[in-house]
Amino acid sequence: LTSVVELVEGCRLPVLRKNQENEDEWPLAEILSVKEVPGKKLYYVHYIDFNKRLDEWVTPDRLDMKKLQFPKKEAKTPTKNGLPGSRPSSPDRDVVRDHTGSLLPTTFCAYLSTAQCPRSTNLHPTLTLKIVRCQMNGTTRRLVPSQPGRKRKNCGTDEDSQDSLDGIPSAPRMTGSLVSDRSHDDIVTRMKNIDCIELGRHRLKPWYFSPYPQELTTLPILYLCEFCLKYLKSLKCLQRHLTKCNLRHPPGNEIYRKGTISFFEIDGRKNKTYSQNLCLLAKCFLDHKTLYYDTDPFLFYVMTEYDSKGFHIVGYFSKEKESTEDYNVACILTLPPYQRRGYGKLLIEFSYELSKVEGKTGTPEKPLSDLGLLSYRSYWSQTILEILMDLKSDNGERPQITINEISEITSVKKEDVISTLQYLNLINYYKGQYILTLSEDIVDGHERAMQKRHLRIDPKCLHFTPKDWSKRGKW
Amino acid sequence: MSKLSFRARALDAAKPLPIYRNGDIPDLNDCVSINRAVPQMPTGMEKEEESEHHLQRAICAQQVFREKRDSMVIPVPEVEGSITYYDRLYKGDFRQTKQLIHIQPFGLDNEQPDYDMDSEDEMLLNRLNRKMELKPLQFEVMVDRLEKASGNQLVTLQEAKLLLNEDDYLLKSVYDYWVRKRKNCRGPSLTPQVKQEKRDGSTNNDAYVAFRRRTEKMQTRKNRKNDEASYEKMLKLRREFSRTVTILEMIKKREKSKRELLHLTLEVVEKRYQMGDFSGEVLKEVSAPLAEKAVFPAPVCLPNGNRHKMESKIKTHKQQPSHPTRHLSAHSEPRFDFTRPHRKYGRRPRLDAAPRPPGRPPQRPHAIADGDIKQYDFHSSGEEDSPLSPSSEPDEENDPDGAFIFRRRDGCHYLAPLGEQRWCSPPGLAWLADPGQRNSLTALSVPRRWVGVSHRRLGRGGRIVLDRTSSDLDRALRLLDPDVFCPSTASVTHHHMHTDTHVNAATHTPPAARTNPQCSLAQLLSNIQACRVRYFRPRPLHENGKEGSKKDALQHDDRKGRGTFAVANNSRTSLSGGITEEQFQSHQQQLEQMKQQQIAQSIHQQGVQPQGLQLPQTMQHIPALPERSHSHVTTMVSTDSVSKTLDSASAHFAASAVVSAPNQESKPHRAGINGILPCQGPRQTKFGRPAAGASSTSSVRPSGGPPRPAPGVPQSLPHGLGPLSSVSAVSPAHAHHSARPCAPSPPALKLASVASSPDHVPRVAPGTAISSLARDKHEPERLALNGMAETTVAMEVT
Repeated sequence: LTSVVELVEGCRLPVLRKNQENEDEWPLAEILSVKEVPGKKLYYVHYIDFNKRLDEWVTPDRLDMKKLQFPKKEAKTPTKNGLPGSRPSSPDRDVVRDHTGSLLPTTFCAYLSTAQCPRSTNLHPTLTLKIVRCQMNGTTRRLVPSQPGRKRKNCGTDEDSQDSLDGIPSAPRMTGSLVSDRSHDDIVTRMKNIDCIELGRHRLKPWYFSPYPQELTTLPILYLCEFCLKYLKSLKCLQRHLTKCNLRHPPGNEIYRKGTISFFEIDGRKNKTYSQNLCLLAKCFLDHKTLYYDTDPFLFYVMTEYDSKGFHIVGYFSKEKESTEDYNVACILTLPPYQRRGYGKLLIEFSYELSKVEGKTGTPEKPLSDLGLLSYRSYWSQTILEILMDLKSDNGERPQITINEISEITSVKKEDVISTLQYLNLINYYKGQYILTLSEDIVDGHERAMQKRHLRIDPKCLHFTPKDWSKRGKW
Repeated sequence: MSKLSFRARALDAAKPLPIYRNGDIPDLNDCVSINRAVPQMPTGMEKEEESEHHLQRAICAQQVFREKRDSMVIPVPEVEGSITYYDRLYKGDFRQTKQLIHIQPFGLDNEQPDYDMDSEDEMLLNRLNRKMELKPLQFEVMVDRLEKASGNQLVTLQEAKLLLNEDDYLLKSVYDYWVRKRKNCRGPSLTPQVKQEKRDGSTNNDAYVAFRRRTEKMQTRKNRKNDEASYEKMLKLRREFSRTVTILEMIKKREKSKRELLHLTLEVVEKRYQMGDFSGEVLKEVSAPLAEKAVFPAPVCLPNGNRHKMESKIKTHKQQPSHPTRHLSAHSEPRFDFTRPHRKYGRRPRLDAAPRPPGRPPQRPHAIADGDIKQYDFHSSGEEDSPLSPSSEPDEENDPDGAFIFRRRDGCHYLAPLGEQRWCSPPGLAWLADPGQRNSLTALSVPRRWVGVSHRRLGRGGRIVLDRTSSDLDRALRLLDPDVFCPSTASVTHHHMHTDTHVNAATHTPPAARTNPQCSLAQLLSNIQACRVRYFRPRPLHENGKEGSKKDALQHDDRKGRGTFAVANNSRTSLSGGITEEQFQSHQQQLEQMKQQQIAQSIHQQGVQPQGLQLPQTMQHIPALPERSHSHVTTMVSTDSVSKTLDSASAHFAASAVVSAPNQESKPHRAGINGILPCQGPRQTKFGRPAAGASSTSSVRPSGGPPRPAPGVPQSLPHGLGPLSSVSAVSPAHAHHSARPCAPSPPALKLASVASSPDHVPRVAPGTAISSLARDKHEPERLALNGMAETTVAMEVT
C-alpha cells in the first residue's frame, strides 16, 4: 500500500535516526527533496526542531509512512514581495476555478492510498482533493528557485538596508559576513551539496551548502589541499597538485606561536585565492555565512597546529578590517575534527587578545549559531568569573567592580558582559543597588571548568601591530 | 514575595557592583524578583534556531550541571577517520623555523599551471610517451594555456600553435584530446572555478556565484542612510561640473580660434589691399595649395587619450541618464597574453557605445557578450595597484581605459581616432569647399550596389569609413545597376559626386529621377557630369607655385578630374563576379605597367627615403613593435593616395584582404571612366598627419609641409596574411569599406607604407583598433560646439 504513496516535498513524517547514545529515535521530519537513484528513491529530510546540519538523504525504509502528514496549507516559507503567485487566502475557492487536473493523478492517488491521513476522515472527498491540489501549488511554488531580480531581503536592521527607493532590486548589504534572514534559504542553499571533503588526514561531512563549482558537487569526495585549500576533483589531481604546491602553512604572516599552536594573518585582498578557498570550506560548516561578496574587507586569522608535516589548519576566524559595529569577529570556526577540544575557546580568546592590543572592545557578528552561542557564553562566563573571583577585598571592604571595568579588562563588549552576568544569574538587586552574587555552585562549576581548560593564549607570544585601515584609501 | 513599591533603577555600567560570595550572600529572597529590572539581553541567535531542541537541551544541562555533559552536546555530522595514505600523499617533512614565518607579499605566485592532471590525462600521457617524451608538468602547462586562452569559445588549432611552442604532432594530439575533453566536461572549464558574477545582474541570486565584487560605496555610518544618497549626489555633481568645465574649455578654444581667424582675415585683407589684389587673383593663387595643406584641428594628444575619455563620459550620460555609470563593455584584450600574472584589465569598464563591429571575424572568442553589461563602480577595491598614468582628470580612475577598448601598453601614447576629426577648412576660404566635407555618390563593389551619397573619412588604423547621408537620389540609386559605371573593368569604382554647395541644385533637379528612376539613368549620368563641370573651379595655372607643390597641385587636380577609387573586396562571393580570364590577364599587364611607372615616378619625384614596413607575420607581434611604427599595418591600407600599387580585378583572386589602391597618376583606362572624383589624395594625406603638435593655429595653418605622396617601397608580404585579413575582414553585408592590401598572389604582394613621416601614424594596436573605432559615432556635443551641423549618419565601421 505505501509504495503507491507519492511523497512530495513538504510532507512530514517520523524518520528513523540514531541519537548520540546510538538509540533509535523517530523525530518528525520534513521532506525537502526527492531524488531517484537506480533502484530506489532517496528523500532529503529536515528534522523538525533539529539544526539543518543534521539534514540528510534517507532511504524509504527509514520513513514512518503511517504517520505521514501532507504539507499544511501555509507553507513555512511565505512568499514575499507579492510574487505573482502569492498564496490566496481562501485556497479552496481559488482552486475550483483552475481545475484542470494536470497535477491530479499522483496527488489524488496519494490521498486515496493514505486512508490514515489525519485530515481525510471528516472531509468531503472532492473538498479534500482541492486542498491537496492547493497544497501542491504551494509546494511547487516554494520550490521555484528564486527569480533573478527578486528582492533579496537584506540582512540586519532596516536602517542598514541598501534598498534604494527606486525599487531596483538591490544586493545584500556589503558589510559583514553573515546573513540573518532566511532569504538565502531557497531549495538550493537549504540542502547540502557536497557529500564529503577530504582535507589532510581527515574526511569531513559538510553541514551546509557551499558554492564550490557546481560540477564538483556530484563527486563522492571533494579533495582539498591541506595547506592552500585548493579544491580538486580526484586524488590523482591532488597528487599532481601537491607536486606543485609547496605551501606547508597558511600563506600569511605568523603573528602568534606558542608550542604547536600558531596563528597566521591573511589579508583577504592580498591573498584572494586562499581567502576564497578558506571561505568555501568554512561555508560548509557555517549556516549563516555569506559568500556573496569578495573577501577584500576581511582579515583571516588561521589557527594551526604544527607537526613534522607542516602547520595544519585547526580553525580560523575572520575579521572586518574596519567594523562600523564593533565586531571583532566576523565568522569563526573550529574544523569538525578539532571540535570540543578547547580550540574554539582558544580562537575566541585570541580574537579578544587582538582587541586588547587595538584598545577596543568587540563582539562577534550576529547571528550566532547554536555552537557559537554556547562557545561564546562559556568563554565570557569563564573570563568574567575569573576576574570576579580574583578580586581581592582591600582593607576589609567588599570588593567591587563596574561593568565598564570588566569590559575594559576583557575587551568584551559591555552588552555581552551584562548578558553573561544575567545568564549566570549573578546580578541581583539588594538594598537599593545592584550587586553581584557568586553562589557556591557557580564557583565550583567555574573551578572545574578552568581545570579542563589547558589551552590558553599567551599574550606575550603575540606579535601584532594593528593597522589603521581607515587611513588607507582602500582595504 | 518581596513587595517592591519602587522601580529598580536601570543598571549603570559605570557604577561599582559589590561582589558577595558564598557565606555573605544576603537574604536572597529580597533579590529574586528584581532580576527582571535588567532588560534581558538577546542571545544574538536567530529566533527559530534558538529554540532548536539540541541547543535548549545543552543550555539546560549547563544551567543545571554548570558544566558540559557529553550526552548533552549538540550533535553534528560525524567526522570520518584518518586517511591512511596521508604520509604518502604529503611527502617530506617541514622543519619549523625559529622565527615566526613571514611571507613575502607577492612571492606566492609561482608560475605553476593551475591545471592538474587526472587519471584520464595520465592514460593519454602514457600513450604519447611511447612516441615521445611528455612530462606531466609540460602537459599541464599546455592544457593550462589552452584553458586560459579560451573563453566561451575554444582556441583554434592555429591559435594553439602560436600559444604552445611545441612539436606539431604533440601539439595536435594534445589539442585534439583537450578539445574532446573540454566538450565532455560538465563545467565551464577544465580547471573548476567558482562561478563568477555576470555584470548584467542576472546572477544576483545564483547561489553558486560567490565573491562578487563590491561596488564600492562610501562607508557610511550605520544609522546614516542619507549619507549614501548625498555621496551619490556629490558624485553626480562632480561629474556635471567636470562636464561643464569641458564644455567651457571647448568654447574658449573655439572663441580663441575665431579671434585668430578674424585677425588673420584682417591681415589677409590688409595685405591684399596693400598688394592691390582687388580681383582676388592673388588670393586664389595662394590659397589653391593652401587648401590641400590645410590641417584639421589637432587631436589633443594627452596621455592615454583623456580628452576622448571625457567626451565619451558625456556621451554615456546622455544615453543613460538614469544609470550614468553603466557601460557596455567589450572585451577585446589581446588573447595570448600570458606574461601577465593577473589580468588586470580584464574587469575594467570597456567603452563601446557603438554596436558591435560587424567586421569582426566570428572566431574571436572575446566578442562582446550582449548581456555583459557592467554595472560600474567608482573604485574597486582591487584596482589600487593598477598601473595608471598620473591622472589629470578626476574621472580618470573611473574609466582609465578612456576611449580605447583595448589593452594599452605602458609608455605608449595613443592618439584618438582620426575619423571624428572633422577637417575644418579655413573659414575665410570656405568657398574652397574642403574635400573632407564633401559628400559623394558612392558605390560598393561587394555587394554591388549604390550606397548613395556618402562622406568618406579615415577611421583609426586606416579603415575607410563611409558616412551616409540621405539625399533625393537614394531611391533612384537603389534601382540602379552599378555596373553601368564600370563597363570595362571588373572593379567597381567609386564615383564621388559632390553634393554640397552648387551641386545641390543640380542633384535635386531631376524630378524625373525621383519619380521614375529607371528611365532617368542617362539623365542622371549627364547630371553628374554636369555637376562636375559646374562644380570644379578651373584651376588657375600659375608659374610661381612653390617648387614641388606645383606638380602636386597638378596631380591633385588630375585626380580630381579622373582618378577613381577602386575597391576590391576579398569576399569569396565576388569571385563569381563575372571576371573572365582575359580580363584578368589584361589587368595583370596593366598592373605591371603601372607598378613600373610608379616606381620610376616615385624615385624620380621623391627624395625622401621611404621606410618600408615589414608586415608582421602574426598579429600578436604587432603590439610588440616599436611604438612609433607598429600601427602601420592597418594604416598603410589607407594610404591609397600614396600607395602606388594599383589593382582591382586581381584582388578578387587574392585569398585574403582587400585593398584599394587607386592610381593617382593618369592611367588611360581610368581616364576613360568619367567618374567623379574622390579627391582622396590630399585628404588622405591630411588624415595621415597627426597634427599633434600644431594645435593652436592648426585650424588655419598646416603644420607640415605640402603633402607629398610618399612612395612606399614595395614590401613583400610574408605568407602569414591570414591573421591580418581575419582581423579586418570586411563584411559585405554591412556595406563596409575596408581598404586592404591585396595582391594577385602573396609573393607578389606589394605593400606600400607612408614612409616619409612615421609620426603620422595613429598609434594603435591594429588587432584591436577595429573595435575602438566603433565609438566614433556619437559626438553630438562636440559637433554642436564646433558649429558643424552635420546630418551625416555614421555608418557602422569595420
